[in-house]
Amino acid sequence: MVLVLALGDLHVPHRAPDLPAKFKSMLVPGKIQHIICTGNLCIKEVHDYLKTLCPDLHITRGEYDEETRYPETKTLTIGQFKLGLCHGHQVIPWGDLDSLAMLQRQLDVDILVTGHTHQFTAYKHEGGVVINPGSATGAYSSITYDVNPSFVLMDIDGLRVVVYVYELIDGEVKVDKIDFKKTTTTTAH
Amino acid sequence: MLKNKLKIPDKTRKPFPDRLGSLVIGFDYRDGENAGSDAALEFGEELETIQPNGFGSDREFEEPDDGVEEGRVQDEGPTGGGAAGGGCGGGEPEFRARQRPAREGSVPVSVLEVIAADEKRSDVQYEISQEEINLEKLQRIASKGLPDEGGLRATTWKLLLGYLPPSRNLWEKELSENRLKYAKLKEDLLISPSEFARRKNLDFSPCETEAGSDVDGPLRRHQISQEDHPLSLGKASVWNQYFENTEVAEQIDRDLQRTHPDMKFFSGETAISRRHREAMRNILLLFAKLNPAIRYVQGMNEVLAPLYYVFSTDPNEQNAANAEADSFSCFVRLLGDSVDHFCQQLDNSSVGILSTLSRLSELLKTNDEELWRHLEFTTRVEPQFYAFRWITLLLTQEFSFQSILRIWDSLLGNPFGVQDMLLRVCCAMLLCIKSRLMSGDFIANLKLLQHYPDINIEHLLQVAMDLTPDTSSYRLSL
Repeated sequence: MVLVLALGDLHVPHRAPDLPAKFKSMLVPGKIQHIICTGNLCIKEVHDYLKTLCPDLHITRGEYDEETRYPETKTLTIGQFKLGLCHGHQVIPWGDLDSLAMLQRQLDVDILVTGHTHQFTAYKHEGGVVINPGSATGAYSSITYDVNPSFVLMDIDGLRVVVYVYELIDGEVKVDKIDFKKTTTTTAH
Repeated sequence: MLKNKLKIPDKTRKPFPDRLGSLVIGFDYRDGENAGSDAALEFGEELETIQPNGFGSDREFEEPDDGVEEGRVQDEGPTGGGAAGGGCGGGEPEFRARQRPAREGSVPVSVLEVIAADEKRSDVQYEISQEEINLEKLQRIASKGLPDEGGLRATTWKLLLGYLPPSRNLWEKELSENRLKYAKLKEDLLISPSEFARRKNLDFSPCETEAGSDVDGPLRRHQISQEDHPLSLGKASVWNQYFENTEVAEQIDRDLQRTHPDMKFFSGETAISRRHREAMRNILLLFAKLNPAIRYVQGMNEVLAPLYYVFSTDPNEQNAANAEADSFSCFVRLLGDSVDHFCQQLDNSSVGILSTLSRLSELLKTNDEELWRHLEFTTRVEPQFYAFRWITLLLTQEFSFQSILRIWDSLLGNPFGVQDMLLRVCCAMLLCIKSRLMSGDFIANLKLLQHYPDINIEHLLQVAMDLTPDTSSYRLSL
């Protein structure tokens, strides 16, 4: 039972001052085992805050990040799942499923997490899942101003992952969940 | 003679610093024929209420005949001691025989010992194999010590704790019922939230999960109730409760790592040891959840350890496999009396630990006023400094593992209850090191009592049995 927090596109301080208070009150240290962040934090203070939630932090570089040494893409294995991480501005057209699928095949992962569009989506594609956690602060994107703050928490348990989607709609936190089961096991290497 | 008596304690202390005063004097040295009589006199000095002849009388089934003494295999000459004086002499070498193997494992066990052990085993087996077991008789036998092999101790403890009913034909039913109950408890309370969520999901929508697996495209989002997500802070949320319990679970894990580090059973790195630790973890977690008033207190793992060990080393396959369930029930029963000791709010009440400690003081006063006065007033060593751990942990931290098993035989075999015998044993522990306590000041005494020295367990238990009960505040614990 591994809890993985996926979030990104905070754009602090340029487009948003901070995470919404309701999100902050829920995110307490000690519950989450890994954090994967798609990018565009943008400053070090946010990085430090995320580190306090969980020491195992993975970040990829977004185009506005001030820390230049984050990688472009990252892969990690958690339990039976291979996760891939990328900001998404490199994949053109932005948010296009087929292009993202190409990236997923390239990285050879079961779950691909990307951002940049600031809209939550979750697609099942060719045996894998593509998730976009949206923007955790609700910052405006290159495409639209109408953005709800959202992030994703994944509960990986053996061959099954339950994706909890947290969205802030009209000042209230709404939680949904998505079930996904993998059909084959990953060989350890 | 008088001079010798005064000198000997000093001499003994140097070569055997962890031995106790005059207890050992008569037995250590090849002092020859006077050893036996000296010891008798020392006993007279130390323990006024004990008659040396008392040793012989209780061992009716262990001393089949005095003539066998010559046949014993021993280093020094017991015959001299045997001739020292009638029943007393007969009692002492008996004693010596018992003590020798306890100290040096390499000395061959006497024939008498082997016969005695066999008789004891057959006695216990006979009692247990009855259709209707006579619990009183079993208690009496248990107080003399139970044999280590054959799973007899496990079954006897279960009977004495009331887990198994006295009627043998009800055992099957009781055992399977209890084990089932335990399994269900585990399922209800120790389930991980993901597992819980998965089961709930299966109940509500078994077909949806199947259909979704082949179709590509946007994944369906399901509504969930507000409390059902991992970050929920609500009281009723399964997740929140799970995270609250991780703190307790962490402490339990830490304590389990430290349980009996010298025994592979508990502290090894093999899969079996890990399984044992996991089983103990489940038991303690479950207990903590079912008793929110006391939760888990450091030290409960020590009380659980002997129980679990005895039950899982039972040669009977089925019993050993279900040791976890059995240990849980017996652990609950064992702690049933003393659970109030762990609750801080009840400290000052009439059922709390302080009241028990004062009962110990009273018991000591009734049996040996001189020592009591010395401890209470002269050196001001109060019971809560040393006896707190003795009482709450049922003496598991004071003696070696084998000794603990033997002491627990007596504790469980007392017809007046575990607590009553426990106080007696604590008092006996004080009496047995009287001479060192009398000559020590606050610091020396405290140090001595907090690191209780090795002594002969049978002697200790005998002293405990022979104590005068404290009738001023007599409480029947049933």
